[in-house]
Amino acid sequence: MDIAIAADAEATLPALTEAVKRLLTADRKRAFADRGAKLAAAHQKAVEAARVEATYGWDASPISTARLAMELWGQIKNKDWSLVSGGGGWPSRLWAFDKHHQHIGSSGGAGVGYGAPASLGAALANRKYGRLSVSIQNDGDLMYAPGVLWTAAHHKIPLLSVMHNNRAYHQEVMHIQRLANRHQRGIENAGIGTTLVDPNIDYATVARGMGVHAEGPILEAKNLGPAIGRALEVVSKGEPALVDVVTQPR
Amino acid sequence: MMRRVVLAAALMAGALFAQPPNPTNGRKLFTRFGCYQCHQREAQGAAATGPRLGPHPIPFARFTRYVRQPTGQMPPYTIKVVKDAELADIYAFLESLPDPPAVKDIPLLNQ
Ligand SMILES: Cc1ncc(C[n+]2csc(CCOP(=O)(O)OP(=O)(O)O)c2C)c(N)n1
Ligand SMILES: [Mg+2]
Repeated sequence: MDIAIAADAEATLPALTEAVKRLLTADRKRAFADRGAKLAAAHQKAVEAARVEATYGWDASPISTARLAMELWGQIKNKDWSLVSGGGGWPSRLWAFDKHHQHIGSSGGAGVGYGAPASLGAALANRKYGRLSVSIQNDGDLMYAPGVLWTAAHHKIPLLSVMHNNRAYHQEVMHIQRLANRHQRGIENAGIGTTLVDPNIDYATVARGMGVHAEGPILEAKNLGPAIGRALEVVSKGEPALVDVVTQPR
Repeated sequence: MMRRVVLAAALMAGALFAQPPNPTNGRKLFTRFGCYQCHQREAQGAAATGPRLGPHPIPFARFTRYVRQPTGQMPPYTIKVVKDAELADIYAFLESLPDPPAVKDIPLLNQ
Protein backbone atom coordinates (compact mmCIF):
# COMPACT_ATOMS: atom_id res chain seq x y z
CA MET A 1 0.00 0.00 0.00
CA ASP A 2 1.31 3.48 -0.86
CA ILE A 3 0.36 6.35 1.38
CA ALA A 4 1.05 9.84 0.09
CA ILE A 5 2.10 12.07 2.98
CA ALA A 6 2.91 15.71 2.41
CA ALA A 7 6.23 16.38 4.16
CA ASP A 8 9.05 18.87 4.42
CA ALA A 9 12.62 17.61 4.16
CA GLU A 10 14.04 20.35 6.38
CA ALA A 11 11.52 19.58 9.12
CA THR A 12 11.81 15.79 8.80
CA LEU A 13 15.55 15.26 8.51
CA PRO A 14 16.56 16.05 12.14
CA ALA A 15 14.00 13.55 13.51
CA LEU A 16 14.99 10.96 10.93
CA THR A 17 18.67 11.36 11.79
CA GLU A 18 17.94 10.80 15.48
CA ALA A 19 15.82 7.73 14.70
CA VAL A 20 18.64 6.21 12.64
CA LYS A 21 21.17 6.92 15.39
CA ARG A 22 18.99 5.11 17.98
CA LEU A 23 18.94 1.97 15.85
CA LEU A 24 22.72 1.82 15.40
CA THR A 25 24.55 -1.10 16.99
CA ALA A 26 28.03 -0.65 18.48
CA ASP A 27 29.45 -2.55 15.49
CA ARG A 28 27.93 -0.22 12.98
CA LYS A 29 29.01 2.81 14.98
CA ARG A 30 32.59 1.61 14.87
CA ALA A 31 32.38 0.93 11.13
CA PHE A 32 31.02 4.42 10.51
CA ALA A 33 33.71 6.02 12.64
CA ASP A 34 36.40 4.16 10.68
CA ARG A 35 34.89 5.17 7.39
CA GLY A 36 34.55 8.75 8.62
CA ALA A 37 38.23 8.89 9.53
CA LYS A 38 39.21 7.64 6.06
CA LEU A 39 36.98 10.20 4.39
CA ALA A 40 38.36 13.00 6.56
CA ALA A 41 41.92 12.05 5.60
CA ALA A 42 41.02 11.90 1.90
CA HIS A 43 39.31 15.28 2.21
CA GLN A 44 42.34 16.86 3.85
CA LYS A 45 44.54 15.53 1.05
CA ALA A 46 42.17 16.92 -1.60
CA VAL A 47 42.14 20.33 0.09
CA GLU A 48 45.92 20.45 0.15
CA ALA A 49 46.10 19.52 -3.54
CA ALA A 50 43.48 22.14 -4.41
CA ARG A 51 45.48 24.81 -2.56
CA VAL A 52 48.57 24.01 -4.63
CA GLU A 53 46.51 24.06 -7.83
CA ALA A 54 45.11 27.46 -6.86
CA THR A 55 48.60 28.99 -6.78
CA TYR A 56 48.99 28.58 -10.55
CA GLY A 57 47.73 31.76 -12.19
CA TRP A 58 47.12 33.33 -8.76
CA ASP A 59 48.07 36.82 -9.94
CA ALA A 60 46.90 36.39 -13.53
CA SER A 61 44.92 38.95 -15.47
CA PRO A 62 42.16 38.14 -16.40
CA ILE A 63 41.65 36.96 -12.83
CA SER A 64 41.76 33.24 -12.03
CA THR A 65 38.58 31.61 -10.78
CA ALA A 66 40.49 30.29 -7.76
CA ARG A 67 41.53 33.81 -6.82
CA LEU A 68 37.97 35.07 -7.24
CA ALA A 69 36.59 32.34 -4.99
CA MET A 70 39.20 32.88 -2.28
CA GLU A 71 38.98 36.70 -2.27
CA LEU A 72 35.24 36.28 -1.73
CA TRP A 73 35.62 33.55 0.88
CA GLY A 74 38.05 35.68 2.87
CA GLN A 75 35.40 38.32 3.36
CA ILE A 76 32.32 36.18 4.05
CA LYS A 77 33.59 33.21 6.03
CA ASN A 78 32.97 34.78 9.44
CA LYS A 79 29.44 35.88 8.56
CA ASP A 80 26.19 33.90 8.24
CA TRP A 81 26.63 33.37 4.50
CA SER A 82 24.80 31.49 1.78
CA LEU A 83 26.08 30.76 -1.74
CA VAL A 84 23.04 31.27 -3.93
CA SER A 85 24.60 30.20 -7.23
CA GLY A 86 26.76 27.47 -8.66
CA GLY A 87 30.35 28.09 -7.83
CA GLY A 88 32.43 26.79 -10.71
CA GLY A 89 34.14 24.23 -8.52
CA TRP A 90 36.46 26.22 -6.25
CA PRO A 91 33.98 26.97 -3.46
CA SER A 92 33.14 23.29 -3.08
CA ARG A 93 36.86 22.51 -2.98
CA LEU A 94 38.12 25.28 -0.72
CA TRP A 95 35.24 26.81 1.25
CA ALA A 96 33.91 25.15 4.40
CA PHE A 97 30.26 24.21 3.98
CA ASP A 98 28.70 22.90 7.18
CA LYS A 99 25.11 24.11 7.06
CA HIS A 100 22.45 23.10 4.59
CA HIS A 101 21.46 26.69 3.82
CA GLN A 102 24.97 27.53 2.65
CA HIS A 103 24.28 26.38 -0.90
CA ILE A 104 21.17 26.33 -3.06
CA GLY A 105 22.40 23.49 -5.26
CA SER A 106 22.12 23.41 -9.03
CA SER A 107 19.20 24.01 -11.35
CA GLY A 108 18.85 20.37 -12.34
CA GLY A 109 18.21 21.10 -16.00
CA ALA A 110 21.38 23.19 -16.49
CA GLY A 111 19.42 25.91 -18.23
CA VAL A 112 21.42 29.05 -18.83
CA GLY A 113 19.52 32.08 -17.54
CA TYR A 114 18.51 30.29 -14.36
CA GLY A 115 21.41 31.63 -12.33
CA ALA A 116 20.55 35.30 -11.91
CA PRO A 117 16.84 34.96 -11.07
CA ALA A 118 17.46 31.90 -8.87
CA SER A 119 20.08 33.76 -6.85
CA LEU A 120 17.68 36.64 -6.31
CA GLY A 121 14.89 34.31 -5.23
CA ALA A 122 17.20 32.63 -2.74
CA ALA A 123 18.41 36.02 -1.51
CA LEU A 124 14.82 37.02 -0.92
CA ALA A 125 14.28 33.84 1.11
CA ASN A 126 17.48 34.51 3.08
CA ARG A 127 16.56 38.14 3.80
CA LYS A 128 14.29 37.42 6.74
CA TYR A 129 17.14 35.62 8.52
CA GLY A 130 19.48 38.55 7.99
CA ARG A 131 21.69 36.13 6.12
CA LEU A 132 24.32 37.26 3.62
CA SER A 133 23.56 35.97 0.12
CA VAL A 134 26.43 35.83 -2.36
CA SER A 135 26.37 34.63 -5.94
CA ILE A 136 29.09 33.94 -8.45
CA GLN A 137 27.31 35.22 -11.52
CA ASN A 138 28.22 34.11 -15.04
CA ASP A 139 28.19 36.75 -17.76
CA GLY A 140 26.27 34.77 -20.36
CA ASP A 141 23.71 33.75 -17.78
CA LEU A 142 23.05 37.38 -16.86
CA MET A 143 22.39 38.18 -20.53
CA TYR A 144 19.20 36.10 -20.45
CA ALA A 145 17.29 38.16 -17.91
CA PRO A 146 19.29 41.22 -16.80
CA GLY A 147 16.04 42.77 -15.55
CA VAL A 148 16.49 40.86 -12.31
CA LEU A 149 18.97 43.59 -11.36
CA TRP A 150 16.16 46.13 -11.34
CA THR A 151 13.95 43.75 -9.37
CA ALA A 152 16.71 43.43 -6.78
CA ALA A 153 17.04 47.20 -6.46
CA HIS A 154 13.30 47.81 -6.48
CA HIS A 155 12.57 45.31 -3.72
CA LYS A 156 15.77 46.08 -1.79
CA ILE A 157 16.96 42.50 -1.76
CA PRO A 158 20.45 42.20 -0.27
CA LEU A 159 22.57 40.12 -2.66
CA LEU A 160 26.24 40.35 -3.53
CA SER A 161 26.83 39.23 -7.12
CA VAL A 162 30.47 38.70 -8.04
CA MET A 163 30.73 38.11 -11.74
CA HIS A 164 32.67 35.29 -13.33
CA ASN A 165 32.84 37.27 -16.54
CA ASN A 166 34.86 35.30 -19.06
CA ARG A 167 33.36 37.38 -21.86
CA ALA A 168 31.82 34.35 -23.48
CA TYR A 169 29.20 31.68 -23.49
CA HIS A 170 32.33 29.75 -22.83
CA GLN A 171 30.88 26.27 -22.57
CA GLU A 172 29.81 26.71 -26.17
CA VAL A 173 33.20 28.02 -27.31
CA MET A 174 34.83 24.81 -26.11
CA HIS A 175 32.17 22.63 -27.63
CA ILE A 176 32.32 24.22 -31.06
CA GLN A 177 36.10 24.23 -31.04
CA ARG A 178 36.02 20.51 -30.39
CA LEU A 179 33.75 19.84 -33.33
CA ALA A 180 35.71 22.16 -35.62
CA ASN A 181 38.93 20.30 -34.81
CA ARG A 182 37.33 16.95 -35.42
CA HIS A 183 36.66 18.14 -38.97
CA GLN A 184 40.07 19.83 -39.29
CA ARG A 185 38.40 23.16 -39.78
CA GLY A 186 40.82 25.18 -37.70
CA ILE A 187 39.77 27.78 -35.24
CA GLU A 188 38.23 30.62 -37.19
CA ASN A 189 34.58 29.84 -36.51
CA ALA A 190 34.49 28.84 -32.84
CA GLY A 191 33.89 32.39 -31.66
CA ILE A 192 30.84 33.08 -33.81
CA GLY A 193 27.81 33.55 -31.58
CA THR A 194 29.69 32.19 -28.59
CA THR A 195 31.90 35.05 -27.39
CA LEU A 196 30.67 38.25 -25.73
CA VAL A 197 33.26 40.72 -27.04
CA ASP A 198 33.35 43.55 -29.53
CA PRO A 199 31.98 45.37 -27.68
CA ASN A 200 32.76 44.01 -24.22
CA ILE A 201 29.72 44.26 -21.98
CA ASP A 202 30.12 46.74 -19.14
CA TYR A 203 27.99 44.97 -16.54
CA ALA A 204 28.71 47.56 -13.85
CA THR A 205 27.13 50.24 -16.02
CA VAL A 206 24.21 47.95 -16.81
CA ALA A 207 23.70 47.30 -13.09
CA ARG A 208 23.98 50.96 -12.13
CA GLY A 209 21.42 51.76 -14.79
CA MET A 210 19.06 49.39 -12.98
CA GLY A 211 19.73 51.07 -9.64
CA VAL A 212 22.26 48.56 -8.29
CA HIS A 213 25.58 49.59 -6.70
CA ALA A 214 28.27 48.23 -8.99
CA GLU A 215 31.99 48.27 -9.68
CA GLY A 216 34.10 46.98 -12.52
CA PRO A 217 35.23 45.71 -14.89
CA ILE A 218 38.03 44.49 -12.60
CA LEU A 219 41.00 42.95 -14.40
CA GLU A 220 43.73 43.15 -11.78
CA ALA A 221 43.57 40.65 -8.92
CA LYS A 222 44.87 43.18 -6.39
CA ASN A 223 41.81 45.40 -6.96
CA LEU A 224 39.30 42.64 -6.34
CA GLY A 225 39.37 42.34 -2.53
CA PRO A 226 38.76 46.07 -1.90
CA ALA A 227 35.88 46.14 -4.42
CA ILE A 228 34.23 43.15 -2.74
CA GLY A 229 34.65 44.93 0.60
CA ARG A 230 32.87 48.06 -0.64
CA ALA A 231 30.08 46.01 -2.20
CA LEU A 232 29.60 44.09 1.06
CA GLU A 233 29.04 47.37 2.90
CA VAL A 234 26.18 48.17 0.55
CA VAL A 235 24.72 44.68 0.97
CA SER A 236 24.96 44.91 4.76
CA LYS A 237 22.63 47.92 4.52
CA GLY A 238 20.03 45.75 2.82
CA GLU A 239 20.66 46.43 -0.85
CA PRO A 240 22.05 44.52 -3.83
CA ALA A 241 25.54 45.10 -5.21
CA LEU A 242 27.49 43.74 -8.15
CA VAL A 243 31.21 43.43 -8.81
CA ASP A 244 32.11 42.71 -12.42
CA VAL A 245 35.26 40.58 -12.52
CA VAL A 246 36.90 39.71 -15.81
CA THR A 247 38.08 36.15 -15.36
CA GLN A 248 39.91 33.23 -16.86
CA PRO A 249 37.53 30.96 -18.81
CA ARG A 250 37.31 28.33 -16.04
CA MET B 1 63.15 30.22 -63.17
CA MET B 2 60.25 28.39 -61.55
CA ARG B 3 62.63 25.90 -60.01
CA ARG B 4 64.74 28.69 -58.54
CA VAL B 5 61.67 30.22 -56.82
CA VAL B 6 60.73 26.87 -55.33
CA LEU B 7 64.28 26.38 -54.13
CA ALA B 8 64.34 29.83 -52.54
CA ALA B 9 61.03 29.16 -50.82
CA ALA B 10 62.31 25.86 -49.48
CA LEU B 11 65.46 27.53 -48.17
CA MET B 12 63.42 30.22 -46.47
CA ALA B 13 61.13 27.67 -44.85
CA GLY B 14 64.22 25.80 -43.67
CA ALA B 15 65.70 29.00 -42.27
CA LEU B 16 62.46 29.79 -40.43
CA PHE B 17 62.30 26.31 -38.99
CA ALA B 18 65.88 26.56 -37.83
CA GLN B 19 65.07 29.58 -35.67
CA PRO B 20 64.88 28.84 -31.96
CA PRO B 21 61.34 28.42 -30.65
CA ASN B 22 59.75 31.70 -29.65
CA PRO B 23 57.78 31.71 -26.36
CA THR B 24 56.23 35.13 -27.02
CA ASN B 25 54.79 33.88 -30.27
CA GLY B 26 53.86 30.66 -28.44
CA ARG B 27 51.71 32.61 -26.00
CA LYS B 28 49.90 34.25 -28.93
CA LEU B 29 49.35 30.89 -30.61
CA PHE B 30 48.14 29.38 -27.35
CA THR B 31 45.31 31.90 -27.53
CA ARG B 32 44.80 31.83 -31.28
CA PHE B 33 44.47 28.06 -31.55
CA GLY B 34 42.12 27.99 -28.58
CA CYS B 35 44.36 26.02 -26.18
CA TYR B 36 43.44 28.57 -23.47
CA GLN B 37 39.77 27.63 -23.76
CA CYS B 38 40.24 24.49 -21.67
CA HIS B 39 43.76 24.93 -20.24
CA GLN B 40 43.38 28.65 -19.31
CA ARG B 41 45.45 31.62 -20.35
CA GLU B 42 48.44 30.85 -18.12
CA ALA B 43 48.12 27.13 -18.93
CA GLN B 44 47.19 26.64 -15.26
CA GLY B 45 44.46 24.17 -16.20
CA ALA B 46 41.01 23.67 -14.70
CA ALA B 47 39.60 20.66 -12.90
CA ALA B 48 36.61 20.27 -15.20
CA THR B 49 38.13 21.01 -18.59
CA GLY B 50 41.83 20.29 -18.95
CA PRO B 51 45.02 19.78 -16.93
CA ARG B 52 47.74 22.29 -16.19
CA LEU B 53 50.36 22.25 -18.96
CA GLY B 54 53.20 24.31 -17.53
CA PRO B 55 55.60 25.31 -16.16
CA HIS B 56 57.70 22.13 -16.60
CA PRO B 57 55.66 20.59 -19.42
CA ILE B 58 55.82 16.89 -20.33
CA PRO B 59 58.63 15.97 -22.79
CA PHE B 60 58.25 17.56 -26.22
CA ALA B 61 57.83 14.27 -28.12
CA ARG B 62 54.96 13.17 -25.88
CA PHE B 63 53.45 16.64 -26.02
CA THR B 64 53.40 16.63 -29.83
CA ARG B 65 52.05 13.12 -30.04
CA TYR B 66 49.18 13.96 -27.72
CA VAL B 67 48.26 17.19 -29.50
CA ARG B 68 48.15 15.35 -32.85
CA GLN B 69 46.30 12.30 -31.55
CA PRO B 70 44.69 12.94 -28.19
CA THR B 71 42.97 10.07 -26.42
CA GLY B 72 40.56 11.89 -24.11
CA GLN B 73 38.11 14.74 -24.59
CA MET B 74 40.70 17.00 -26.21
CA PRO B 75 40.11 17.76 -29.87
CA PRO B 76 42.92 16.68 -32.21
CA TYR B 77 45.12 19.39 -33.74
CA THR B 78 46.41 17.98 -37.01
CA ILE B 79 49.33 19.35 -38.98
CA LYS B 80 46.82 20.93 -41.33
CA VAL B 81 45.79 23.26 -38.51
CA VAL B 82 48.94 23.66 -36.38
CA LYS B 83 52.43 23.41 -37.92
CA ASP B 84 55.33 21.66 -36.17
CA ALA B 85 57.17 24.96 -35.76
CA GLU B 86 54.08 26.49 -34.16
CA LEU B 87 53.87 23.60 -31.72
CA ALA B 88 57.50 24.22 -30.83
CA ASP B 89 56.69 27.85 -30.04
CA ILE B 90 53.73 26.83 -27.88
CA TYR B 91 55.98 24.38 -26.03
CA ALA B 92 58.53 27.15 -25.47
CA PHE B 93 55.77 29.28 -23.97
CA LEU B 94 54.84 26.47 -21.56
CA GLU B 95 58.51 26.09 -20.58
CA SER B 96 58.84 29.82 -20.02
CA LEU B 97 56.06 30.05 -17.45
CA PRO B 98 57.24 31.02 -13.97
CA ASP B 99 56.83 28.79 -10.92
CA PRO B 100 53.91 30.03 -8.82
CA PRO B 101 54.22 31.40 -5.28
CA ALA B 102 54.13 28.78 -2.51
CA VAL B 103 50.84 28.10 -0.70
CA LYS B 104 52.40 29.28 2.56
CA ASP B 105 53.10 32.70 1.04
CA ILE B 106 49.45 33.29 0.04
CA PRO B 107 47.39 34.24 3.13
CA LEU B 108 44.08 33.71 1.30
CA LEU B 109 45.00 30.04 0.81
CA ASN B 110 45.69 29.59 4.52
CA GLN B 111 42.41 30.76 5.99
C1 LIG C 1 18.46 28.00 -21.98
C2 LIG C 1 19.75 27.48 -22.46
N1 LIG C 1 20.27 27.94 -23.62
C3 LIG C 1 21.45 27.47 -24.07
C4 LIG C 1 22.14 26.53 -23.36
C5 LIG C 1 23.47 26.00 -23.87
N2 LIG C 1 24.56 26.50 -23.05
C6 LIG C 1 25.14 25.72 -22.11
S1 LIG C 1 26.39 26.54 -21.30
C7 LIG C 1 26.13 27.94 -22.24
C8 LIG C 1 26.99 29.15 -22.05
C9 LIG C 1 26.90 29.75 -20.70
O1 LIG C 1 27.63 30.95 -20.63
P1 LIG C 1 27.95 31.58 -19.24
O2 LIG C 1 26.72 31.62 -18.42
O3 LIG C 1 28.67 32.86 -19.44
O4 LIG C 1 28.90 30.49 -18.57
P2 LIG C 1 30.38 30.06 -19.09
O5 LIG C 1 30.21 28.79 -19.85
O6 LIG C 1 30.93 31.17 -19.90
O7 LIG C 1 31.16 29.85 -17.83
C10 LIG C 1 25.09 27.76 -23.16
C11 LIG C 1 24.63 28.79 -24.10
C12 LIG C 1 21.58 26.08 -22.15
N3 LIG C 1 22.20 25.17 -21.37
N4 LIG C 1 20.39 26.58 -21.71
MG1 LIG D 1 30.67 33.21 -19.51
